[in-house]
Amino acid sequence: MKSAALIFKTQTPVFFLACLAGTICFSFSQAKDAAPPTFAAAQAILEKNCISCHNYGEKKGELVLDRGPIKLDDPDELIKLVSGSDPEMPKKGTHLKASQIAILKKWIDAGTPFPDGLVLTDSHAADRDWWSLHPLAKSKAPDIAAEDEAWCRNDIDRFIIAKLREKKLSPSPEADARTLGRRLYYDLTGLPPTPDQMQKFLQASATHPNSAFEKLVDELLDSQRYGEHWARHWLDVVRYGDTHGYDKDKLRLNAWPYRDYVIRSFNDDKPYARFVEEQIAGDVLWPGNPDGVIATGFIAAGPWDYIAHVEVGEGKVDGRIAKNMDRDDMVTATFNTFMSITIQCARCHDHKFDPVSMEDYYRTQAVFAAVDRANRVYGLDPAIQNQRESLSAKLSTLKSEQIALGKKISQLANPKLGKIETRLKELKAIGQRTVKAPEYGFHSQIAKSPDAEKWVQIDLGTAVSLKAIELIGCHDEYAGIGAGFGFPKRFRIEASNDPDFKTGVQKIADKSESDYPFPGVLPQSFPIAGKEKARYIRVTATRLAERKNDYIFALAELRTLDSTGENLALGKTVTSLGSIQAAPRWRRSNLVDDKFPHPENEAAMKELTSLENERRQILKTVIKPAVQKKRTEFAASIKKTEIQLKALPEGKLVYAAAAAFKPQGQFKATKGTPRPIYFLTRGDIRSVGPEMTPGAPPLWNDSPSEFKLAINHTEGDRRATLARYLTHKKNPLTWRSIVNRTWLYHFGRGIVDSPGDFGRMGAAPSHLDLLDWLTIEFRDKQSLKALHRQIVTSSTWRQASANDSAKAAIDSDNQFYWRSQRHKLTAEELRDAALAVSGLLNMKMGGPGFQDFVLEKNQHSPHYEYQKYDPENPASHRRSIYRFIPRSRTQPFLTTLDCADPSQSVAKRDETTTALQALTLLNNPFMGTMSKHFAKRIEKQTDPITTAFQLAMNRTPSANEKSTLQKYATQHGWANTCRLILNLNEFTYVD
Amino acid sequence: MSIDFQSPQQTRRSFLGALAGSFPGLALTDLLAQDGAIGVLHRPAKAKRVVQLFMAGAASHVDTFDYKPSLKKYHGKAWDPGEGVELFQSTPGHTLKSPWEFRRHGKCGKHLSEAVSPLGEVVDDMAFVHNVVGKTAVHSQGTLLQTTGFTTPGYPSAGSWVSYGLGSMNDNLPTLVVLPDHRGLASNGTKNWSSMFLPAQHQGTVIQPGANPPIADLFPPRDSSFITKKSDKDGLSVLKKLNTQYAEQRPGDSRLTARIRSYELAAKMQLSATEAMDVSKEPGYIKNLYGLAAEGPGVNDTEINEKAESEFFGRKCLIARRLLERGVRFIQIWSGNDNGHPRRNWDSHENIERDHGPLALGMSRGAAGLIQDLKQRGMLDDTLILWTTEFGRMPCAQRGVGRDHNPFVFTNWLCGGGIKGGVTAGESDEWGYKPLDRSHPTEVYDVHATMLHLLGIDHEQLTVRHNSIDRRLTNVFGKVIKDIMA
Repeated sequence: MKSAALIFKTQTPVFFLACLAGTICFSFSQAKDAAPPTFAAAQAILEKNCISCHNYGEKKGELVLDRGPIKLDDPDELIKLVSGSDPEMPKKGTHLKASQIAILKKWIDAGTPFPDGLVLTDSHAADRDWWSLHPLAKSKAPDIAAEDEAWCRNDIDRFIIAKLREKKLSPSPEADARTLGRRLYYDLTGLPPTPDQMQKFLQASATHPNSAFEKLVDELLDSQRYGEHWARHWLDVVRYGDTHGYDKDKLRLNAWPYRDYVIRSFNDDKPYARFVEEQIAGDVLWPGNPDGVIATGFIAAGPWDYIAHVEVGEGKVDGRIAKNMDRDDMVTATFNTFMSITIQCARCHDHKFDPVSMEDYYRTQAVFAAVDRANRVYGLDPAIQNQRESLSAKLSTLKSEQIALGKKISQLANPKLGKIETRLKELKAIGQRTVKAPEYGFHSQIAKSPDAEKWVQIDLGTAVSLKAIELIGCHDEYAGIGAGFGFPKRFRIEASNDPDFKTGVQKIADKSESDYPFPGVLPQSFPIAGKEKARYIRVTATRLAERKNDYIFALAELRTLDSTGENLALGKTVTSLGSIQAAPRWRRSNLVDDKFPHPENEAAMKELTSLENERRQILKTVIKPAVQKKRTEFAASIKKTEIQLKALPEGKLVYAAAAAFKPQGQFKATKGTPRPIYFLTRGDIRSVGPEMTPGAPPLWNDSPSEFKLAINHTEGDRRATLARYLTHKKNPLTWRSIVNRTWLYHFGRGIVDSPGDFGRMGAAPSHLDLLDWLTIEFRDKQSLKALHRQIVTSSTWRQASANDSAKAAIDSDNQFYWRSQRHKLTAEELRDAALAVSGLLNMKMGGPGFQDFVLEKNQHSPHYEYQKYDPENPASHRRSIYRFIPRSRTQPFLTTLDCADPSQSVAKRDETTTALQALTLLNNPFMGTMSKHFAKRIEKQTDPITTAFQLAMNRTPSANEKSTLQKYATQHGWANTCRLILNLNEFTYVD
Repeated sequence: MSIDFQSPQQTRRSFLGALAGSFPGLALTDLLAQDGAIGVLHRPAKAKRVVQLFMAGAASHVDTFDYKPSLKKYHGKAWDPGEGVELFQSTPGHTLKSPWEFRRHGKCGKHLSEAVSPLGEVVDDMAFVHNVVGKTAVHSQGTLLQTTGFTTPGYPSAGSWVSYGLGSMNDNLPTLVVLPDHRGLASNGTKNWSSMFLPAQHQGTVIQPGANPPIADLFPPRDSSFITKKSDKDGLSVLKKLNTQYAEQRPGDSRLTARIRSYELAAKMQLSATEAMDVSKEPGYIKNLYGLAAEGPGVNDTEINEKAESEFFGRKCLIARRLLERGVRFIQIWSGNDNGHPRRNWDSHENIERDHGPLALGMSRGAAGLIQDLKQRGMLDDTLILWTTEFGRMPCAQRGVGRDHNPFVFTNWLCGGGIKGGVTAGESDEWGYKPLDRSHPTEVYDVHATMLHLLGIDHEQLTVRHNSIDRRLTNVFGKVIKDIMA
């Protein structure tokens, strides 16, 4: 790799492309030729010493030296910083030599010339000379000594023994048949063999060990249990969970179809490339295939901040940060999972160790720019799907036509109207808000037509003389109405001494001839001129306010003011022609309780009401009857289409990557229009650089960093291109990554023991030649089952696990595989094994996960109360893979046993031994329940202890063991004895 | 607890060991050590233990520790900080004074609000930092930032780092203990004390005082139909015998013997945890010092009230002291639950007085009790107490009497182990809206760096490699706050 790259200069700010040598860009020498000599001399110094921090992405100290034009506020300062015996710069590495400083000075004195369009790159960051980035090349197993050939069953063994010999080591003998059987069951299915299964295998093995073994391998790989077990490994890596995490950890009730998809894919031995592609863009690449949609559950599997997306939203900085981090999670998961490369390091600066630039990173974000995590429909009958789609399309056309008509009216009306509407929109966001008590006001019954008459009246007790009446509108978010809720369009205010208003009626205000201006929640005052006294005040609505396809009359407060300004209505009796009594919000007495909404921002409320009235006025003058008719027709067609759409089945839902979904608060779908993705200096969303187009890190020859997409490409095309990038034959990482992961789960350590990081900060491969050989085989066959078969049938895998101190002195970590690694059961394996030996294990596959907690306070902020769950409940006696996985409170029993945390990608589990594990295995109610049922299963047997040992450990107890346990059982019973067996080292360790 | 049993096959160790030449970091060599990563401290430690007090929901600085006369002066008037303000939920309301008066306390004369006046007794031991800035106004992320140094899940808690770095001081109690609000876990739940990519034994162990058992699975279920004390005891000895046989047949695998030892430690923990939780023998004046209620944990909490809040927080503080005495390294005490209903946390959007009042009094009684008690036992000198919350609250009103989130400035205070008492380092502006000196705020990294520094750890050197990065608690930031150190 050359240490400099060229850019296409298209516009300012530049749109750059850190391209690779020998690709489509201008050639390197062209730029160099054009470079002034002072720059050419300084370039290497800058690249080696300066630009790892002073680049466009990081701008350390606000100084950018990787591209021109370079601006130095104080040219001498830079020289000072690098000069002297203890220079401040460079921060890391060696000081500059006097000769180098002189070169820099010359360059600065010349005015820091910099070739147009050139971007310097940190030499290491662009360097693909690293084992995991080298192209895969066909190789063959090493030649080995004839005497070692006898040990070898396949080429894996040839690679292994060659290395062992090189290290002066030798393999261990083969494990006995029982150990092999037990190991094979756990390794391929995650469950212990039943005594019958073991018996069958041992019998066959006694005469034909090899064929018995190979037959068992085939049988287990064919079993559905295989997919269940290996899906668990995959879900660790993809950070799968059934709740959102963060604050108010809400349930994801539709995440499980993805989990079932993974199980199904493993069981079907789906070609790995297809498995990868489906998870990124299955919906695009295989339209109509339900798995295509479900698979994108991968993108959505990680945690998601409900509050930041739904309550805050993209209108605010915090919401935009959340969106950025949400995409970061998608990008990170994709590259860590499939390619074992830590692309996320390049969010704030170019990757410090691996060839991933910030540009690469943000291009990859652009791939996911149109998708969010949401429930998405799958599995509809294609005909219905089509109908739904065409109706949806019709609906959106109608709606946009309706909007267009509205706009046309506005244009016709008055250019001012557009402005008014824009301002109204802004005002609605702030001016609508009020401070209000829980007692809203008076609310009439609901009418079907606006002309139904409604009235409300107050009995002041005695006839009094009044100065004015004040009406104050309500505030209710119902149907998005807000201020002025239910305030009548037309009304009269009258006073009388007759409660029935038949005689002696004085008119205070008559607003029944034309529509009354929109009042918001501002008090509307109606002065009374005369001095006549009256006991009853009545407000009659003659045209009602529209609610949602129906009509109402509501008022927050009615104030009757005397000459001193005192409100005489306070607490007086209210009667009405019909009312909704729904305390505390709505009841008649609320009309005179002095509780009414106050605008949070009075100026905004005033502006809002006056503009709203202006808008109504303008509209009234321009809406001709024909236009009005058209408007009504649109409304009717929309309603009709909505009804038709509702009548169709909706399909099933999966929580997956979605560009279309039902909006929820501030969380709105892109409908396929990608959000613009910008280069963010130091990863800060407030430091916006140029907009980025979709792409991916160019990690092999001729892999383009920028995707070649048509101008009018869809968002799906972006993901589809990334999917093909991941599974490109030349991709050096994808194939190595999965082969290494598979190896890790079989052997307890990877050939590369940092399975999620194949970069320079990761571990070095112990057997690169073997890894590459297996990888090519795998890439060409695409079968994980074939890979498993290859591995477990090797002599390497079949070794005994016994220690050998002489060999351990050479290789204590067994990194060269001179023996087998004694496997400790994972949390889920242990739980499943306890269920299996107790005879409770329910093999039901698929569907919603079982919840082994009691869910409380689900409405607002769910609590997952595990300690309240009864483990006797058969609903939870399923394999652990089917467990519903909350993030905010992880399952305590499994967590103590080192289960993977669903909020991070776990490439390799921890293995610890702690006192808390001992406590949980002894005392957790689940273990108690298993002990009881295990006891029931054996106590009636003629030889309970032997049966128990066969079930739990697939062997017969020794005489000594038997007598010890028999004695204990006699004293404390079988349940206690079974509790003890489930706590044996031998139950926890396979060998 | 010395139960970090590393197997001879520990791959992490060999992986790190292979890199040790090129990346000399403490974590590399000392994963081998049974206790903690460091073994040898980077510098003499002032503190050995930490108590982190966390006010879930975001405690208002301007109603507790950060006195702002301007709020009173301009109360009810439009609030204008002279720049655009984007709030989490609302639009800025009028300037809102604190419902409580502020008075001077101690020799240092620090102003404290009435709501936290019990801390006046110990204010000369406390150091205040009023210019702490956050990165987000979202609870979950703000909480994670304070507990883990990052705003997204996936990073070890500060307590886990300390446990990892220093290891345990006892062998029968966990190193990192969490005392959550019994009414529910705050945002992110157990993520706030997860070990994530550090070895799993550095995750927090939850202790629920008053619950039975206080530690999950400490004892057999009370309703167990078959486990008795005798069956338990006899069972453990049979288990030891059989497990020992199994281990002896498989020499060279230290995990197997470690597992035998883990059962012995479990039995020890049953005794020591029970003993540590038992406050019945604490004298009355000590219970009063912590503000415990006569009714005990069953005190009525139907309406939020001082008495209950004092009992809940005070009891946790008292148990914390007992755990500290018994060698627990790091204790996290929570005041306030998740954002559920009815509100029992500091997220006072609706009403500062109603919720902050009882919570602040309860917290300050318990915290003041803890500080005084540690002091009289000579333990305050090497116990660091750190008070924090996810962010502050606004100087302006929300819906009249509440306050919205303020991530732009808030308060932390520290006390004990190496902290200079009675000082204030870093001020907020006239309103308590942003730092007074905006170019020199204090960040969570600085507080964490200071904490590690006092524990004898250089925050830049306590690292673990994870996904290509040598991760540390302070990310790539952090400056020790010199002004608050004794």
